[in-house]
Amino acid sequence: MKQRTQIVILLVALYVVLPFLLKGNTYVMSILVASLTIAGVALAWALLGNLGGMVSFGHAAFFGVGSYISAIVTMKLGVPIFAAILMGGFGATIASIAVLPALRLSGPYFALAILAYAHIFKILATEFTSVTGGAGGLLGIPPLPTLLGFNFGSKLGAYLVIITIILVFAFIYARIRGSYYGFALRAMHESEDATRVVGVNSTLLKALMLFLSAFMTGVVGAFNAHYINFLEPDYAFHIGWTMLPLVAAIFGGYRTLSGPLIGAVVVYTVDQLVFKSLIPSGHQIMLGVLLGIIILFAPDGLIPLLKKTVRRVRQTGKCRPPQTDATC
Amino acid sequence: MLKLDNITVQFGGLTAVNGVALAIGAEEVVGLVGPNGAGKTTLFNVISGLVKSTGGEATFNGADVLKAPMYKRARMGIGRTFQIPQPMHELTVRQNLQVAQRFGTGSVNREKIDEILYFLHLDDKAERDAATDLSLSELKALEVGKALATAPQLLLLDEVLAGLETASKRSFMKTLGVLHQTYRISILIIEHDIETISTLCPRVCVLNHGQLIADGTPQGVFSNPEVIRSYTGGGHD
Amino acid sequence: MIELILQSLYSGLLSGGSYALIALGLALVFGTMKIINLAHGEMVLLAAYMAYLMESKLTLSPILAIPLALVVSCLVAVAIYFLLSRISKNRELNSLILTFGIGIILTNAILIIWSADIHSTSSPGFQEPVVLGPLFSMRSELGFFGVSIVLVAALWWWLSRSWYGRALRAVSSNRDAAKLMGINPHRTEVVSFVVAGILASFAGVALYCTSVIQPSLGSSLTSKAFIITVLAGIGSIPGVLVGAILIGIAEAMTVTLYSSALQELTSMVLFLLVLFVLPNGLFGAAGRRG
Repeated sequence: MKQRTQIVILLVALYVVLPFLLKGNTYVMSILVASLTIAGVALAWALLGNLGGMVSFGHAAFFGVGSYISAIVTMKLGVPIFAAILMGGFGATIASIAVLPALRLSGPYFALAILAYAHIFKILATEFTSVTGGAGGLLGIPPLPTLLGFNFGSKLGAYLVIITIILVFAFIYARIRGSYYGFALRAMHESEDATRVVGVNSTLLKALMLFLSAFMTGVVGAFNAHYINFLEPDYAFHIGWTMLPLVAAIFGGYRTLSGPLIGAVVVYTVDQLVFKSLIPSGHQIMLGVLLGIIILFAPDGLIPLLKKTVRRVRQTGKCRPPQTDATC
Repeated sequence: MLKLDNITVQFGGLTAVNGVALAIGAEEVVGLVGPNGAGKTTLFNVISGLVKSTGGEATFNGADVLKAPMYKRARMGIGRTFQIPQPMHELTVRQNLQVAQRFGTGSVNREKIDEILYFLHLDDKAERDAATDLSLSELKALEVGKALATAPQLLLLDEVLAGLETASKRSFMKTLGVLHQTYRISILIIEHDIETISTLCPRVCVLNHGQLIADGTPQGVFSNPEVIRSYTGGGHD
Repeated sequence: MIELILQSLYSGLLSGGSYALIALGLALVFGTMKIINLAHGEMVLLAAYMAYLMESKLTLSPILAIPLALVVSCLVAVAIYFLLSRISKNRELNSLILTFGIGIILTNAILIIWSADIHSTSSPGFQEPVVLGPLFSMRSELGFFGVSIVLVAALWWWLSRSWYGRALRAVSSNRDAAKLMGINPHRTEVVSFVVAGILASFAGVALYCTSVIQPSLGSSLTSKAFIITVLAGIGSIPGVLVGAILIGIAEAMTVTLYSSALQELTSMVLFLLVLFVLPNGLFGAAGRRG
């Protein structure tokens, strides 16, 4: 019951309180929407990392494919935008079929093979000028529509769309993680043979996680295309769409559900508001520093670290009455 | 039930298993012995799918084993344990069995899991982390438990008794007897200790240099001069 | 047409030679520590910027920057090794992420110090043409190729003959056994990082003399180096040269026969093909990758 109350409070905060408080402030709203876009990719990245056991350096590929497909089907075929966003997700899944052979590669090889795919997709988007508009890009991508009298094309509308996408994805992620499939997937990290020998089709499960992760990334990319209204290969397939979510997920703790989401909002906001004003050109140096610090000092990420600290502080409080010296 | 014919495995120039033919019937308990490096574990690996054979055939209830992918062999009814226990990490003991049951049989049966935990004396450790919080004998029991949860008809046990102290070894042997009686499964067990194998198995097979050199009752096999020679100096390493 | 193809084979051969030098350090570290240093390209690029610094600030020949580049690259290499050795768990993947982070730091440091502008050498001597019958190249390209061949050969000789080479091989094949034999794995590993730094500094200076540099170049140098390492097969030094030349020629042929836009596609596709079809690379010792 307690968990249900927490979820209700969270939903009210995200759908009512936050929009009400920030409605007037377009700048904060746009930062929030951009950080949630990163959060969506970070969640998809972490799903593949945590459940599939695969670290990817190529999620920009799925992001780019999703955004281009959604933009093209709305512009050339007149598909309704929300349907097109879903198609962007499916397009990214189809693109990920090309990545399937890489699944049999172990850790670093997979990570770098998928990086090669991201390069290839970017080159293809640049070269297929007739469909993608080539390096010149696509201008005038239709914005999110007005539905039932509400304009989703506004900043507030975009916020409601992306937060809904993220919550749905987080729900799906949580359901999988708690299922037998989730158990088997988590076990596969360290003990793949042990899972296969009891009947787990590990290749199939990994492939499904890849498809799902690509789908989620594609949907977020598609959302972004209609939010930004402009695409070019260098933007849509930019390494930043891999780098920021990766830093965010690792910062927050990619083996947790909330870690990548909180990580993305914190990292993106701090990057934009603090780092960028300190170092206008080259502010991403701080992301590199952050990544290094996390890997070296808290490889599980911030959320697990905080939980551990809170538990320790509570235990110390319980076992020992407050002492004079500052042991906490 | 399981029929091996002319199974051969070569690693580069080394022949680990050489033309092994072996048949195991329903509810049989068979011991597999031989000096180190004789190819016993490799034979298990071929049957369960970790290693590809370079020649020969294997059928299980008439179906081709060697062509089936690893996970399907578990569903066909072949369960195995690893010599070095391989618990599924990040999961509790119970979750280990649940995953094995769900994927090995395709269905969920909580009573069966409880029963296996009870038989293996793991019922009070069910919620422990399998990879970090178990002793060696408990890990070995979990190995057997995971295999049992897949509802096997044939259990391949790779030195589950090795490394245990006498008391726990004896109780584990008793447990194996009970499991065999209850679930009516066939067991093929690798074990070095001749006394153990003679008590446990009415039939013993001996591998040496990858070849099957004897197959029969323990008394017959262990008085076979070729077997004695292989143990006293024929084995490599 | 034949002449065009001959020329592109020749250019491919030369640029392949230079790729080999860029890849060599990454291949060495990968071979000894099974660690992919994703900041390797940035190390090379940093050395190239030392050459730029020498030329622009002191108006000296960029080649004189080699000592400075050596110091800087080796310091960076040792720093990377020091950080890598502090990784406490899941070394294989965390080292990848850590060096990725170091790469981001170096790229942006270069960006902050030298801005995003494109630089190339202003000394005319490097661009002078060298004509060999029907074949044409720049003087600097031949120089780069020559340095590369010499260093590949030197490294190969050193690894196969010296005590360190043997120690390095022992550590890479079995770290614990090497320890028992009295080899200090940390020392051998740090040596391989320093040697990678030395190779990177030569590669960087040569890169500046032959081509253009900009801050974002580092990551593409790394991916090229990694592709070549995979092509070569882990631990094969001659394989690096052959793999690099293969890439160089394939790229040059793509440019001649199709379009320069597809140049990068060629090496990526070649990389994936080798990964899937020849999991041990062209010359790799048997090892499991999948």
